[in-house]
Amino acid sequence: MNRYELGIVDTRNIIKTLEDVYNYDFKNYALTFFKRRVEKIILDYNLKDAEGFIQKIETEKSFFEIFLKEICVDNTEMFRDPSLWRVLKEEIFPQNIQNAVNYKIWFPEVSSGEELYSTAIILRMLNLQNNVQLIASSISELDLEKTKKGIFDPKKNEVNEANFKRIFSESDLSEFYTIENDKGLWDTSLVEKTKFIKQNIIFDDYPKGIKLILFRNQMIYYNQILQERFNKIMYNCLVPGGHLIIGNNEKIEYWNSDKDYTFINKAESIYKKKLA
Amino acid sequence: MYKAVVIGGSAGSFQVITKILSSLPKNFPLPVLLCLHRLKHVRSGFVEALSIKSKIPILEPYDKETIKSGKGYLAPSNYHMYVELNKRIALSTEEPVNHSRPSIDLTFETAALAYRDKLIGIILSGANRDGAYGLKKLKQAGGLAIVQDPNECQVKTMTEASLKQTTVDHIFTTEQIISFLTNIK
Repeated sequence: MNRYELGIVDTRNIIKTLEDVYNYDFKNYALTFFKRRVEKIILDYNLKDAEGFIQKIETEKSFFEIFLKEICVDNTEMFRDPSLWRVLKEEIFPQNIQNAVNYKIWFPEVSSGEELYSTAIILRMLNLQNNVQLIASSISELDLEKTKKGIFDPKKNEVNEANFKRIFSESDLSEFYTIENDKGLWDTSLVEKTKFIKQNIIFDDYPKGIKLILFRNQMIYYNQILQERFNKIMYNCLVPGGHLIIGNNEKIEYWNSDKDYTFINKAESIYKKKLA
Repeated sequence: MYKAVVIGGSAGSFQVITKILSSLPKNFPLPVLLCLHRLKHVRSGFVEALSIKSKIPILEPYDKETIKSGKGYLAPSNYHMYVELNKRIALSTEEPVNHSRPSIDLTFETAALAYRDKLIGIILSGANRDGAYGLKKLKQAGGLAIVQDPNECQVKTMTEASLKQTTVDHIFTTEQIISFLTNIK
Protein backbone atom coordinates (compact mmCIF):
# COMPACT_ATOMS: atom_id res chain seq x y z
CA MET A 1 0.00 0.00 0.00
CA ASN A 2 1.28 3.43 -0.96
CA ARG A 3 1.57 5.78 1.99
CA TYR A 4 2.76 9.25 2.76
CA GLU A 5 3.52 10.30 6.29
CA LEU A 6 3.01 13.87 7.46
CA GLY A 7 4.96 15.19 10.46
CA ILE A 8 3.25 17.05 13.27
CA VAL A 9 5.09 20.28 12.40
CA ASP A 10 3.95 20.01 8.76
CA THR A 11 0.42 19.38 9.95
CA ARG A 12 0.47 22.54 12.03
CA ASN A 13 1.89 24.52 9.11
CA ILE A 14 -0.98 23.38 6.94
CA ILE A 15 -3.51 24.39 9.59
CA LYS A 16 -1.86 27.80 9.77
CA THR A 17 -1.99 28.21 5.97
CA LEU A 18 -5.69 27.42 5.90
CA GLU A 19 -6.30 30.01 8.56
CA ASP A 20 -4.10 32.69 6.95
CA VAL A 21 -5.40 32.24 3.42
CA TYR A 22 -9.05 31.24 3.90
CA ASN A 23 -9.78 32.20 7.49
CA TYR A 24 -10.84 28.60 8.21
CA ASP A 25 -9.62 27.39 11.57
CA PHE A 26 -8.97 23.64 11.73
CA LYS A 27 -6.98 23.83 14.98
CA ASN A 28 -9.83 22.20 16.83
CA TYR A 29 -10.20 19.21 14.59
CA ALA A 30 -8.88 16.00 16.12
CA LEU A 31 -5.20 16.11 15.21
CA THR A 32 -4.71 12.45 14.32
CA PHE A 33 -7.72 12.58 12.05
CA PHE A 34 -6.72 15.83 10.37
CA LYS A 35 -3.20 14.57 9.75
CA ARG A 36 -4.41 11.32 8.26
CA ARG A 37 -6.95 13.10 6.08
CA VAL A 38 -4.36 15.48 4.63
CA GLU A 39 -2.02 12.52 4.01
CA LYS A 40 -4.78 10.91 2.00
CA ILE A 41 -5.37 14.09 -0.02
CA ILE A 42 -1.63 14.47 -0.72
CA LEU A 43 -1.57 10.92 -2.07
CA ASP A 44 -4.85 11.04 -4.00
CA TYR A 45 -3.98 14.30 -5.73
CA ASN A 46 -0.28 13.53 -6.32
CA LEU A 47 0.94 16.50 -4.31
CA LYS A 48 4.13 14.80 -3.13
CA ASP A 49 4.41 16.43 0.29
CA ALA A 50 3.22 19.12 2.70
CA GLU A 51 4.86 21.84 0.63
CA GLY A 52 3.07 20.65 -2.49
CA PHE A 53 -0.22 20.71 -0.62
CA ILE A 54 0.36 24.21 0.76
CA GLN A 55 1.36 25.58 -2.63
CA LYS A 56 -1.72 24.15 -4.33
CA ILE A 57 -4.17 25.29 -1.71
CA GLU A 58 -2.67 28.79 -1.57
CA THR A 59 -3.05 29.29 -5.29
CA GLU A 60 -6.24 27.41 -6.19
CA LYS A 61 -9.52 28.29 -4.56
CA SER A 62 -11.16 25.34 -6.32
CA PHE A 63 -8.72 23.01 -4.60
CA PHE A 64 -9.73 24.49 -1.26
CA GLU A 65 -13.31 23.43 -2.06
CA ILE A 66 -12.05 19.93 -2.82
CA PHE A 67 -10.18 19.96 0.46
CA LEU A 68 -13.37 20.90 2.35
CA LYS A 69 -15.19 18.01 0.72
CA GLU A 70 -12.41 15.58 1.63
CA ILE A 71 -12.33 16.75 5.23
CA CYS A 72 -16.06 15.98 5.58
CA VAL A 73 -16.13 12.25 6.05
CA ASP A 74 -18.84 10.49 4.07
CA ASN A 75 -21.61 8.71 5.95
CA THR A 76 -20.74 5.04 5.87
CA GLU A 77 -24.10 3.80 4.61
CA MET A 78 -27.86 4.34 4.55
CA PHE A 79 -29.67 3.54 7.82
CA ARG A 80 -26.46 2.98 9.78
CA ASP A 81 -27.50 1.26 13.03
CA PRO A 82 -30.94 0.06 11.88
CA SER A 83 -32.14 -0.17 15.49
CA LEU A 84 -32.00 3.63 15.76
CA TRP A 85 -34.04 4.04 12.58
CA ARG A 86 -36.63 1.63 13.95
CA VAL A 87 -36.98 3.85 17.01
CA LEU A 88 -37.42 6.87 14.76
CA LYS A 89 -39.97 5.07 12.61
CA GLU A 90 -41.97 3.52 15.43
CA GLU A 91 -41.71 6.10 18.23
CA ILE A 92 -40.09 9.48 17.65
CA PHE A 93 -41.60 10.32 14.26
CA PRO A 94 -45.21 9.15 14.81
CA GLN A 95 -45.36 10.64 18.32
CA ASN A 96 -43.92 14.01 17.40
CA ILE A 97 -44.70 14.67 13.77
CA GLN A 98 -48.22 13.28 13.30
CA ASN A 99 -49.89 16.51 14.42
CA ALA A 100 -47.03 18.90 13.84
CA VAL A 101 -46.72 21.75 11.41
CA ASN A 102 -43.29 22.60 10.09
CA TYR A 103 -41.39 20.12 12.27
CA LYS A 104 -37.80 21.15 11.65
CA ILE A 105 -35.05 18.54 11.43
CA TRP A 106 -31.45 19.75 11.14
CA PHE A 107 -28.43 17.86 9.81
CA PRO A 108 -25.52 20.13 10.84
CA GLU A 109 -23.00 18.34 8.60
CA VAL A 110 -24.81 16.45 5.89
CA SER A 111 -21.63 15.29 4.08
CA SER A 112 -22.54 12.54 1.60
CA GLY A 113 -26.23 12.71 2.50
CA GLU A 114 -27.13 9.22 3.67
CA GLU A 115 -28.56 10.43 6.99
CA LEU A 116 -30.71 12.98 5.14
CA TYR A 117 -32.02 10.50 2.57
CA SER A 118 -32.60 7.81 5.21
CA THR A 119 -34.73 10.28 7.17
CA ALA A 120 -36.61 11.45 4.06
CA ILE A 121 -37.37 7.86 3.06
CA ILE A 122 -38.78 6.98 6.46
CA LEU A 123 -40.93 10.12 6.46
CA ARG A 124 -42.23 9.24 2.99
CA MET A 125 -42.98 5.68 4.08
CA LEU A 126 -44.94 7.06 7.05
CA ASN A 127 -46.54 9.73 4.87
CA LEU A 128 -45.36 12.45 7.24
CA GLN A 129 -43.17 14.37 4.81
CA ASN A 130 -45.55 17.32 4.48
CA ASN A 131 -45.35 18.11 8.17
CA VAL A 132 -41.57 18.38 8.11
CA GLN A 133 -38.94 20.89 7.08
CA LEU A 134 -35.55 19.24 6.50
CA ILE A 135 -32.50 21.49 6.84
CA ALA A 136 -29.13 20.19 5.67
CA SER A 137 -25.95 22.16 6.15
CA SER A 138 -22.33 21.46 5.36
CA ILE A 139 -19.03 23.27 5.27
CA SER A 140 -18.54 21.74 1.83
CA GLU A 141 -20.27 23.33 -1.16
CA LEU A 142 -19.36 20.29 -3.29
CA ASP A 143 -21.01 17.91 -0.83
CA LEU A 144 -24.15 20.06 -0.81
CA GLU A 145 -24.30 20.02 -4.63
CA LYS A 146 -23.80 16.27 -4.76
CA THR A 147 -26.42 15.64 -2.10
CA LYS A 148 -28.94 17.92 -3.82
CA LYS A 149 -28.50 15.89 -6.98
CA GLY A 150 -28.90 12.66 -5.02
CA ILE A 151 -25.65 11.11 -6.23
CA PHE A 152 -24.38 8.16 -4.23
CA ASP A 153 -21.89 5.36 -4.49
CA PRO A 154 -23.69 2.15 -5.55
CA LYS A 155 -20.91 0.07 -3.97
CA LYS A 156 -22.62 0.75 -0.67
CA ASN A 157 -25.89 -0.69 -1.91
CA GLU A 158 -25.58 -4.18 -0.50
CA VAL A 159 -25.28 -2.75 3.02
CA ASN A 160 -27.92 -0.09 2.30
CA GLU A 161 -30.46 -2.69 1.18
CA ALA A 162 -29.77 -5.02 4.09
CA ASN A 163 -30.16 -2.17 6.59
CA PHE A 164 -33.41 -1.04 4.98
CA LYS A 165 -34.83 -4.57 5.22
CA ARG A 166 -34.18 -4.51 8.95
CA ILE A 167 -36.54 -1.54 9.18
CA PHE A 168 -39.10 -2.21 6.45
CA SER A 169 -38.98 -5.95 5.87
CA GLU A 170 -41.84 -5.80 3.35
CA SER A 171 -40.42 -3.05 1.14
CA ASP A 172 -37.48 -2.60 -1.11
CA LEU A 173 -35.03 0.30 -1.09
CA SER A 174 -34.82 0.19 -4.88
CA GLU A 175 -38.15 2.05 -5.01
CA PHE A 176 -36.13 5.13 -4.08
CA TYR A 177 -33.17 5.13 -6.45
CA THR A 178 -31.95 4.39 -9.96
CA ILE A 179 -28.52 3.35 -11.18
CA GLU A 180 -27.15 5.13 -14.25
CA ASN A 181 -23.68 4.48 -15.60
CA ASP A 182 -22.47 3.06 -12.29
CA LYS A 183 -23.77 6.12 -10.50
CA GLY A 184 -26.48 5.77 -7.88
CA LEU A 185 -29.18 8.44 -7.96
CA TRP A 186 -31.69 8.93 -5.16
CA ASP A 187 -35.19 10.04 -6.02
CA THR A 188 -34.56 13.76 -5.49
CA SER A 189 -38.25 14.45 -4.87
CA LEU A 190 -37.37 13.15 -1.40
CA VAL A 191 -35.41 16.34 -0.75
CA GLU A 192 -37.19 18.84 -3.02
CA LYS A 193 -38.29 20.97 -0.07
CA THR A 194 -35.06 20.55 1.87
CA LYS A 195 -33.20 23.72 2.72
CA PHE A 196 -29.48 23.41 1.92
CA ILE A 197 -27.18 25.77 3.76
CA LYS A 198 -23.46 26.35 3.28
CA GLN A 199 -21.88 26.80 6.70
CA ASN A 200 -18.61 28.49 7.45
CA ILE A 201 -16.50 26.62 9.94
CA ILE A 202 -17.64 28.52 13.01
CA PHE A 203 -21.33 27.96 12.29
CA ASP A 204 -22.14 31.49 13.38
CA ASP A 205 -25.37 31.48 11.38
CA TYR A 206 -27.24 28.38 12.38
CA PRO A 207 -30.97 27.63 12.08
CA LYS A 208 -33.32 28.16 15.03
CA GLY A 209 -36.49 26.51 16.30
CA ILE A 210 -35.24 23.00 15.56
CA LYS A 211 -37.24 20.01 16.83
CA LEU A 212 -34.72 17.29 16.01
CA ILE A 213 -30.98 17.32 15.33
CA LEU A 214 -29.37 14.32 13.72
CA PHE A 215 -25.61 14.66 14.12
CA ARG A 216 -24.05 11.25 14.27
CA ASN A 217 -20.36 10.49 13.90
CA GLN A 218 -19.25 13.92 12.78
CA MET A 219 -18.25 15.46 16.10
CA ILE A 220 -15.78 12.59 16.50
CA TYR A 221 -13.54 14.54 14.10
CA TYR A 222 -13.41 17.50 16.46
CA ASN A 223 -11.33 17.91 19.58
CA GLN A 224 -12.98 18.60 22.92
CA ILE A 225 -12.95 22.37 22.48
CA LEU A 226 -14.92 22.26 19.24
CA GLN A 227 -17.22 19.54 20.58
CA GLU A 228 -18.05 21.77 23.50
CA ARG A 229 -18.74 24.73 21.23
CA PHE A 230 -21.02 22.58 19.12
CA ASN A 231 -22.95 21.40 22.11
CA LYS A 232 -23.78 25.01 22.93
CA ILE A 233 -24.90 25.69 19.37
CA MET A 234 -27.12 22.60 19.30
CA TYR A 235 -28.61 23.37 22.68
CA ASN A 236 -29.42 26.92 21.57
CA CYS A 237 -31.09 25.97 18.33
CA LEU A 238 -33.23 23.15 19.77
CA VAL A 239 -36.64 24.01 21.13
CA PRO A 240 -37.47 22.73 24.65
CA GLY A 241 -38.68 19.15 24.29
CA GLY A 242 -36.68 18.76 21.05
CA HIS A 243 -34.48 15.75 20.40
CA LEU A 244 -30.78 15.38 19.79
CA ILE A 245 -29.32 12.20 18.35
CA ILE A 246 -25.55 11.60 18.26
CA GLY A 247 -23.46 8.58 17.37
CA ASN A 248 -23.68 5.58 19.64
CA ASN A 249 -20.09 5.90 20.86
CA GLU A 250 -20.18 9.63 21.35
CA LYS A 251 -20.39 11.31 24.72
CA ILE A 252 -19.17 14.66 25.79
CA GLU A 253 -17.58 14.75 29.20
CA TYR A 254 -17.84 18.49 29.66
CA TRP A 255 -21.44 18.50 28.76
CA ASN A 256 -23.67 19.01 31.71
CA SER A 257 -26.27 16.86 30.05
CA ASP A 258 -28.20 16.07 33.24
CA LYS A 259 -29.13 19.69 33.58
CA ASP A 260 -29.92 20.29 29.92
CA TYR A 261 -31.21 16.99 28.59
CA THR A 262 -33.02 13.82 29.56
CA PHE A 263 -31.18 10.82 28.18
CA ILE A 264 -34.25 9.04 26.86
CA ASN A 265 -32.62 6.21 24.91
CA LYS A 266 -29.14 5.14 25.96
CA ALA A 267 -28.72 2.36 23.40
CA GLU A 268 -29.37 4.75 20.53
CA SER A 269 -27.95 7.95 22.08
CA ILE A 270 -31.16 9.97 21.96
CA TYR A 271 -31.43 13.03 24.20
CA LYS A 272 -34.42 15.22 24.86
CA LYS A 273 -33.97 18.87 25.76
CA LYS A 274 -35.59 19.70 29.10
CA LEU A 275 -38.30 22.28 29.37
CA ALA A 276 -36.87 25.53 30.72
CA MET B 1 8.86 1.63 31.33
CA TYR B 2 6.07 0.64 28.94
CA LYS B 3 2.93 2.75 28.83
CA ALA B 4 0.48 0.67 26.77
CA VAL B 5 -0.17 -2.62 24.99
CA VAL B 6 -1.93 -2.77 21.64
CA ILE B 7 -3.24 -6.07 20.30
CA GLY B 8 -4.61 -6.87 16.85
CA GLY B 9 -6.36 -10.04 15.80
CA SER B 10 -8.82 -11.47 13.36
CA ALA B 11 -9.95 -14.97 12.42
CA GLY B 12 -8.81 -17.47 15.04
CA SER B 13 -7.81 -14.87 17.62
CA PHE B 14 -10.82 -14.93 19.91
CA GLN B 15 -9.67 -17.84 22.07
CA VAL B 16 -6.14 -16.47 22.24
CA ILE B 17 -7.32 -13.05 23.33
CA THR B 18 -9.68 -14.58 25.89
CA LYS B 19 -6.82 -16.59 27.33
CA ILE B 20 -4.56 -13.56 27.52
CA LEU B 21 -7.24 -11.41 29.19
CA SER B 22 -8.09 -14.12 31.73
CA SER B 23 -4.41 -14.30 32.71
CA LEU B 24 -3.75 -10.61 33.22
CA PRO B 25 -3.95 -9.56 36.87
CA LYS B 26 -6.66 -7.20 38.03
CA ASN B 27 -4.05 -4.53 38.67
CA PHE B 28 -2.31 -4.89 35.31
CA PRO B 29 -0.23 -1.71 35.09
CA LEU B 30 -0.93 -0.75 31.46
CA PRO B 31 -3.94 -0.01 29.29
CA VAL B 32 -4.70 -2.68 26.69
CA LEU B 33 -5.98 -1.47 23.32
CA LEU B 34 -7.77 -4.18 21.38
CA CYS B 35 -8.48 -3.97 17.68
CA LEU B 36 -10.21 -7.17 16.62
CA HIS B 37 -12.05 -7.67 13.38
CA ARG B 38 -15.69 -8.19 14.14
CA LEU B 39 -19.09 -8.39 12.56
CA LYS B 40 -20.25 -5.00 11.48
CA HIS B 41 -23.91 -5.36 12.30
CA VAL B 42 -23.57 -7.01 15.65
CA ARG B 43 -23.10 -4.07 17.94
CA SER B 44 -23.45 -5.80 21.27
CA GLY B 45 -22.27 -9.06 22.75
CA PHE B 46 -18.58 -8.98 21.90
CA VAL B 47 -17.43 -6.88 24.83
CA GLU B 48 -19.60 -9.01 27.11
CA ALA B 49 -18.04 -12.22 25.72
CA LEU B 50 -14.54 -10.86 26.30
CA SER B 51 -15.45 -9.66 29.78
CA ILE B 52 -16.62 -13.05 31.06
CA LYS B 53 -13.13 -14.31 31.82
CA SER B 54 -11.18 -11.07 31.90
CA LYS B 55 -10.02 -9.73 35.26
CA ILE B 56 -9.49 -6.26 33.85
CA PRO B 57 -12.60 -4.34 32.76
CA ILE B 58 -13.17 -4.40 29.01
CA LEU B 59 -15.07 -1.54 27.45
CA GLU B 60 -15.97 -0.07 24.10
CA PRO B 61 -14.72 3.46 24.52
CA TYR B 62 -16.55 6.66 23.80
CA ASP B 63 -14.95 9.15 21.47
CA LYS B 64 -12.28 11.24 23.32
CA GLU B 65 -12.37 8.97 26.35
CA THR B 66 -9.16 9.18 28.38
CA ILE B 67 -7.09 5.98 28.28
CA LYS B 68 -6.39 4.54 31.71
CA SER B 69 -4.16 1.75 32.98
CA GLY B 70 -5.64 -1.59 33.89
CA LYS B 71 -8.49 -1.33 31.39
CA GLY B 72 -9.11 -2.95 28.03
CA TYR B 73 -10.41 -0.78 25.19
CA LEU B 74 -12.12 -2.68 22.40
CA ALA B 75 -12.57 -0.92 19.05
CA PRO B 76 -16.39 -0.62 18.58
CA SER B 77 -18.01 -2.26 15.58
CA ASN B 78 -18.03 -0.20 12.38
CA TYR B 79 -15.59 2.40 13.79
CA HIS B 80 -11.84 2.84 13.47
CA MET B 81 -10.14 3.41 16.81
CA TYR B 82 -7.29 5.95 16.97
CA VAL B 83 -5.11 7.09 19.83
CA GLU B 84 -4.71 10.86 20.05
CA LEU B 85 -1.43 12.43 21.15
CA ASN B 86 -3.03 13.43 24.45
CA LYS B 87 -3.73 9.72 25.15
CA ARG B 88 -7.39 9.83 24.42
CA ILE B 89 -9.35 7.54 22.15
CA ALA B 90 -10.65 9.01 18.90
CA LEU B 91 -13.20 7.12 16.84
CA SER B 92 -13.65 7.41 13.10
CA THR B 93 -16.05 6.24 10.43
CA GLU B 94 -13.64 6.87 7.56
CA GLU B 95 -13.44 4.37 4.74
CA PRO B 96 -12.35 0.83 5.58
CA VAL B 97 -8.61 0.07 5.40
CA ASN B 98 -7.63 -3.43 4.22
CA HIS B 99 -11.40 -4.01 3.89
CA SER B 100 -11.64 -3.54 7.63
CA ARG B 101 -13.32 -1.08 9.95
CA PRO B 102 -11.93 -1.19 12.60
CA SER B 103 -8.53 -1.46 10.95
CA ILE B 104 -5.62 -2.79 13.00
CA ASP B 105 -3.14 -0.75 10.97
CA LEU B 106 -4.80 2.49 12.06
CA THR B 107 -4.96 1.62 15.74
CA PHE B 108 -1.31 0.51 15.76
CA GLU B 109 -0.09 3.47 13.73
CA THR B 110 -1.76 6.10 15.88
CA ALA B 111 -0.84 4.32 19.12
CA ALA B 112 2.79 4.28 17.92
CA LEU B 113 2.66 8.02 17.32
CA ALA B 114 1.26 8.66 20.79
CA TYR B 115 3.34 6.17 22.83
CA ARG B 116 6.55 5.96 20.71
CA ASP B 117 9.03 3.53 22.34
CA LYS B 118 6.74 2.95 25.32
CA LEU B 119 4.39 0.69 23.38
CA ILE B 120 4.10 -3.07 23.06
CA GLY B 121 2.33 -4.32 19.93
CA ILE B 122 1.07 -7.87 19.46
CA ILE B 123 -0.32 -9.36 16.24
CA LEU B 124 -2.38 -12.53 16.61
CA SER B 125 -4.00 -15.07 14.30
CA GLY B 126 -5.91 -13.65 11.32
CA ALA B 127 -6.87 -14.13 7.72
CA ASN B 128 -5.83 -10.87 6.07
CA ARG B 129 -2.88 -8.48 6.02
CA ASP B 130 -4.28 -5.81 8.27
CA GLY B 131 -1.83 -4.97 11.05
CA ALA B 132 1.38 -5.63 9.12
CA TYR B 133 1.88 -1.98 8.23
CA GLY B 134 0.84 -0.85 11.70
CA LEU B 135 3.35 -3.16 13.38
CA LYS B 136 6.06 -1.82 11.10
CA LYS B 137 5.25 1.75 12.14
CA LEU B 138 5.22 0.69 15.77
CA LYS B 139 8.67 -0.86 15.41
CA GLN B 140 9.99 2.22 13.59
CA ALA B 141 8.78 4.41 16.45
CA GLY B 142 10.84 2.29 18.86
CA GLY B 143 8.06 0.10 20.20
CA LEU B 144 8.35 -3.59 21.02
CA ALA B 145 6.93 -5.81 18.27
CA ILE B 146 5.56 -9.25 19.10
CA VAL B 147 3.89 -11.70 16.74
CA GLN B 148 2.06 -14.86 17.72
CA ASP B 149 3.95 -17.94 16.52
CA PRO B 150 2.38 -18.69 13.10
CA ASN B 151 2.68 -22.43 13.79
CA GLU B 152 0.25 -21.96 16.62
CA CYS B 153 -2.20 -19.71 14.74
CA GLN B 154 -5.49 -21.04 13.44
CA VAL B 155 -4.97 -18.76 10.43
CA LYS B 156 -1.41 -17.68 9.64
CA THR B 157 -1.91 -14.98 7.00
CA MET B 158 -1.84 -12.02 9.34
CA THR B 159 1.19 -13.03 11.41
CA GLU B 160 3.15 -14.06 8.32
CA ALA B 161 2.36 -10.76 6.59
CA SER B 162 3.63 -8.93 9.69
CA LEU B 163 6.81 -11.00 9.86
CA LYS B 164 7.50 -10.26 6.21
CA GLN B 165 7.40 -6.49 6.79
CA THR B 166 9.07 -6.22 10.18
CA THR B 167 11.98 -7.74 12.04
CA VAL B 168 10.07 -8.32 15.22
CA ASP B 169 11.41 -8.56 18.75
CA HIS B 170 9.64 -11.79 19.64
CA ILE B 171 7.73 -14.62 18.03
CA PHE B 172 5.76 -15.97 20.97
CA THR B 173 3.25 -18.73 21.68
CA THR B 174 0.14 -17.73 23.61
CA GLU B 175 1.76 -18.99 26.82
CA GLN B 176 4.88 -16.93 26.18
CA ILE B 177 2.80 -13.82 25.46
CA ILE B 178 1.02 -14.31 28.77
CA SER B 179 4.19 -14.89 30.71
CA PHE B 180 5.77 -11.79 29.10
CA LEU B 181 2.81 -9.56 29.90
CA THR B 182 2.30 -10.77 33.45
CA ASN B 183 5.94 -10.05 34.22
CA ILE B 184 5.56 -6.36 33.38
CA LYS B 185 5.82 -4.38 36.56
